[in-house]
Amino acid sequence: MNESHLVLHGIAVKKHGGRDAIADLAGLDAAAVDGLLEAAVAGGRVAQVEDKFLLTPAGRMIVDAQYSRFYAAAREDAEFRAAHERFEIVNNELKQVITDWQTMSVGGEKIANDHSDPDYDDKVIDRLGQVHEKVEPILKRFAVNVPRFAHYLAKLEAALEKAEDGEAKWVSDATLDSYHTVWFELHEDILRVLGREREE
Amino acid sequence: MAQALGEFVLALDGSALPPREQIGGKAWSVARMLALGLPVPPAVVITTDACRAYLDQGHFPDGLEDQIGAAVAWLEAQTGRTLGDGDKPLLVSVRSGAAISMPGMMDTVLNLGINDATEAALAAESGDAGFARDTHRRFLELYAGIVLKATLPESSAGDPRAMVEAIEGQGLQVPATAREQLHAAVEAVFASWNSRRAKRYRKHHDIPDSLGTAVTVQAMVFGNLDDRSGTGVLFSRNPLHGDPEPYGEYLHRAQGEDVVSGKFTPEPLSSLREALPEVHDALIAAAQTLERENGDVQDIEFTVQRGELFLLQSRAAKRAPAAAVRFAVDMVNEGRIEAATALARVSAEQVRSLLKPRLVEGATDGAEILARGEIACQGVGAGVVVTDSDEAERRHEAGEAVVLARATTSPEDVHGMIAASAVLTEQGGSTSHAAVVGRALGVPCLVGCGEGSVTALAGREVTVDANGGAVHAGLLEVVSPSETDDPLLAQLTQWAAERCPITVTDTDDGAFDLDHVEGAEDPQRLPALLAGHDSVRGGAIESDAGVAAALAAGVSTIVARHPLPVMLAALAASRGDDA
Repeated sequence: MNESHLVLHGIAVKKHGGRDAIADLAGLDAAAVDGLLEAAVAGGRVAQVEDKFLLTPAGRMIVDAQYSRFYAAAREDAEFRAAHERFEIVNNELKQVITDWQTMSVGGEKIANDHSDPDYDDKVIDRLGQVHEKVEPILKRFAVNVPRFAHYLAKLEAALEKAEDGEAKWVSDATLDSYHTVWFELHEDILRVLGREREE
Repeated sequence: MAQALGEFVLALDGSALPPREQIGGKAWSVARMLALGLPVPPAVVITTDACRAYLDQGHFPDGLEDQIGAAVAWLEAQTGRTLGDGDKPLLVSVRSGAAISMPGMMDTVLNLGINDATEAALAAESGDAGFARDTHRRFLELYAGIVLKATLPESSAGDPRAMVEAIEGQGLQVPATAREQLHAAVEAVFASWNSRRAKRYRKHHDIPDSLGTAVTVQAMVFGNLDDRSGTGVLFSRNPLHGDPEPYGEYLHRAQGEDVVSGKFTPEPLSSLREALPEVHDALIAAAQTLERENGDVQDIEFTVQRGELFLLQSRAAKRAPAAAVRFAVDMVNEGRIEAATALARVSAEQVRSLLKPRLVEGATDGAEILARGEIACQGVGAGVVVTDSDEAERRHEAGEAVVLARATTSPEDVHGMIAASAVLTEQGGSTSHAAVVGRALGVPCLVGCGEGSVTALAGREVTVDANGGAVHAGLLEVVSPSETDDPLLAQLTQWAAERCPITVTDTDDGAFDLDHVEGAEDPQRLPALLAGHDSVRGGAIESDAGVAAALAAGVSTIVARHPLPVMLAALAASRGDDA
């Protein structure tokens, strides 16, 4: 896979990402990414603000065109598309699990989960573990065509294990590589690979 | 001792309370309700001794099979029903239960004992063939998923025969008799003791692997057998606002899952009082007993079967922030709990949410409503509407208050959501990205406002009332509540101040101001930055982690606009509660 594409892709998924986060999403060495970022900035495809990066309008056009070129084979692979269909089903489950993590039902009304009931929280994290077991084979299938999907599995598992060990923020904190943050980037990634739009 | 039916099996008859280590938490609470003279469906427990023997030997220990047979006979005698057969079939639930509740253990299998013949008997008994079919379907679904770990295709849903065929198609088998199904379910509970998640949890929490789990087998009761049957939930006090009156919902002629499914609209508790006054009074008395014995507000699930009340579960009630405060203060005033206990039951986060800015009363009167949406994260936020996340961030950094309005949000918008005082979307519901991230960030958020509804507001000043679900034109007047204005919060503040390990004040005495220190908005960096300072303010010092860092660094005074949440966080940290 073209490394300069991967860097643009990393910034497209994690806008305002730092170098390490971009390297992570691209599945490249952080050291290798420095040179690629420098070249992309020089070429007017990427803008740098302090230590964060974002795509310029030109960079965005280029990366969108690259998706259809580089992933043509994956897009035509029926098994890959079938794995994506399974992913969307599991995605709905994940969204419900995360919502149940953040909210709880009190006397028939939904209010914010204040995490004062460990039994409730444990059951939700149990369900997150079940979702994880379902997404594992799907990501492995994605990785047959697009190897970087294997990285998501490791990152999801790391977040899951921290959540299981009682660090609640690793479920859905938007400022960390929490389970939900990684999942959403993964979802964004697969949609870009397939050239699809997200459905709410 | 409850009545022993053998070395490994006890019948819970209320005669004495066996130790939690032997029967697990769930059976223990059933036994305790029985000991208090409260009505509970008949239950037996297969003890943790049996689990340990099973894990040692890899199979049921000698005698267990016969003792389970005796347990079934006891349940049959208690209920006047028969398992897996007859015109009055006995159905049971099978659940795991360790002394310490633990994730990763087997979920509950319900309705065990149903098959084609008992489905027909149940249909005749209840006069409701649909209910009997549904009971059969639910059993197969749970048995397949939990005991057999089979995946049922949606196409088989609803038809027991198709479900069984789908299970067999995966090389698995639903045993022919209820006894064999019960055996397999008990074995699955024992095996779940060694699931990946349970093992990890025990290791992390230093819980010995040798404890083992018990298995509770309990008769199912039905709330849909006749007009004198029903099911519901009762809170010993109102969990939303905290009023001391019991609060509940009742579904006439319905089964427990109907309450959860949302298929039926529950009636208020008064409908139970009108229909079955004696049952209603017994229920209220039971709630008071359980609240008094447990020293906390209870959430009780109950079923009425042919005019007879059964309590299914009672536990400390989940509560909204306002109710948490009211319960805590009321129960101290009633002499039920100590002030220190009351303080432990109100979290800093709950008080912070009560102190969030809100609209001045009457502020929305006459204000034009520009859009309505589903409330994803409560709160109030105002500013000028922008539709681009980069622009939101830029204008926020320039000191402007902005409301981010998008058709939908994606990970590319997170920086804009962080900058915004409120977030609006046009598509998506309570599980959408905007809803999830909005709640995670604590940003007031309305979702699903409708195609073209909010992005069209670009450039206008609006107030988002994410408590009421509306977007109002203009910047409406907002107040920040204070803990001294509210008598309940003022009372908690007084108790907290008497016990707090550090001084927390809203008057600045020249404290070291972390707002002027690089990196002090990150609680993880506070330990290094706090060294040598006695009195501090600003940065992340008011967060739970910030307060813990201040305690650890030996800070003596924190200056905060709202002292109560800081004191509650300090008390929690000094108790060693998990953050």
